[in-house]
Amino acid sequence: MSRLISLNHITKIEGHAKLVLGIKRGKVMRCELSAVEGSRYFEGLVRGRRYNEAHEITSRICGICSCAHVIAAISAVENALGYSPTEQTNDLRKLLTLGERIRSHATHLYFLALPDYLGYESALAMASRHKADLESALRMMKAGNNVIRTIGGRDLHPVSAAVGGWLKYPKKESLAILKKEIVEAKKDALKTCKLFFSLKYPKFDSGAEYFSLVDSKEYAVLEGKFTSQHTSFEKWQYKDFVNEYHEPRSTANFVVKGDHKYMVGALSRLNNNHAHLSRDAKKMLNLSRLKLPSTNPFHNNIAQAIETVHCMDKCIEILESLDIKNEPVEKLKAKESGGVGCIEVPRGTLWHEYSINAEGIITNANIITPTAQNLLSIQEDIRAFVQSAFDKPKKGIILGVEKLIRSYDPCFSCSAHFLEVEWT
Amino acid sequence: MDVKKKKLYVFGNRYLEFDSLGTKIAESFSKEISISYVNAPETLLYSKDKEITIIDVVRGIRKPVLIEGASRIRSRKIMSLHDFDLGFVLRLMHELGSDKKIKIIGVPQHGNAAEIAKEVRPWI
Repeated sequence: MSRLISLNHITKIEGHAKLVLGIKRGKVMRCELSAVEGSRYFEGLVRGRRYNEAHEITSRICGICSCAHVIAAISAVENALGYSPTEQTNDLRKLLTLGERIRSHATHLYFLALPDYLGYESALAMASRHKADLESALRMMKAGNNVIRTIGGRDLHPVSAAVGGWLKYPKKESLAILKKEIVEAKKDALKTCKLFFSLKYPKFDSGAEYFSLVDSKEYAVLEGKFTSQHTSFEKWQYKDFVNEYHEPRSTANFVVKGDHKYMVGALSRLNNNHAHLSRDAKKMLNLSRLKLPSTNPFHNNIAQAIETVHCMDKCIEILESLDIKNEPVEKLKAKESGGVGCIEVPRGTLWHEYSINAEGIITNANIITPTAQNLLSIQEDIRAFVQSAFDKPKKGIILGVEKLIRSYDPCFSCSAHFLEVEWT
Repeated sequence: MDVKKKKLYVFGNRYLEFDSLGTKIAESFSKEISISYVNAPETLLYSKDKEITIIDVVRGIRKPVLIEGASRIRSRKIMSLHDFDLGFVLRLMHELGSDKKIKIIGVPQHGNAAEIAKEVRPWI
């Protein structure tokens, strides 16, 4: 007996995806995951623009991760032009990135992942019975949002970050209010950990190589080597290790390390960086009884909950030490060069690479999103998961597969950027 | 309520012709009431106002309409966080038992901003 399961719109993920599963005589013969978002052309859009426009344009790749693209683009351009930001600029960039991670994790955990585990179709359906949980989520989202607005100047697509420094500094009073809000929201983050530790996660081992930045000084955010349990390399070496390829069925590229899948995201970060967690986040990790390293993608939800506590602690630490001085934005001299920016963002490691000519015009760009890096892992995990779940009814298999995909917290609208034109 | 303390939440994109009429109409009230241009609809979730008055462009109408209460809003099935639109946020507020009074002033995509402003003024 053979059957074909087709999920045309996988819901409750960022953007839209499609999965085709072909099953014959108890074996998965076909498993094809693809992004069905329209092509985005962002790498083409920045070509021909000045180096200091890349972050403003690529910010529009995603409304959820706009800060991530801003900081990754700026890092790549500064890397090309040989500029190292000041400590204050780095702290502000970290705050922006961490604020976005708090907002994104809180939203994903409560509005996309939790309904699966509590048996609801959507967050709206669970609102009346789980009002307190959703209110917790909203408070954390608000705290993350306020970090972005205060530091970046806007809720979405921040305008204060710039190549060579910072354009508009937050007021001291605003930073004090922000700190107070995060201290309050941390109570919700701790509650979130306990809630997500209490959920029952499927037993599953992806066996994937898990990669993230690793920084010897802290839980990696903006700096470090791209590291897994097997290897480690510098940012500028990424093309020697990471290969992008296109599947005609998908608008998103697939990315492999050598010839095999790898995963990025909160769980990979936790596996590689847990020694640098804040004190309370470490306490939460112990409470979770999660054994690290874990390559069960369902544990990504646990990792996101623990990271939310850590990100709040880190924001508080930076806000306590930040004594804003008015540093003018450095005007960087254009030169023919190339640079790579690689940072940790909500869904994993984000890569931006630009080539710039002597006039300061971008001549080439490459952007690799976390979801593109996770696509093959997700697809291969689905194949293995379905293979192990044949005894379950079709509805149960589909729900399991959707849960598995969502646990990676993918964003298909951001990963869809491939276009190949053949001129005849 | 003191009219100067009233706030109008404005949705729409002033740079897109078909989505800008709400922003143009709102500008004509700027001396009388506080105008808040909304980038992200979740802003409404954190509003401290007891009464939330929204102006937005509605496709397919020729005359302005007044919608009172979120229970009449139908939200699409949420596919992703990119679908956190005004409808979803208002439905969420409703489901969470918000007691805020919601008024939505829907205006057509095209028309004379000054004329429509006169029509909707009593609703603000």
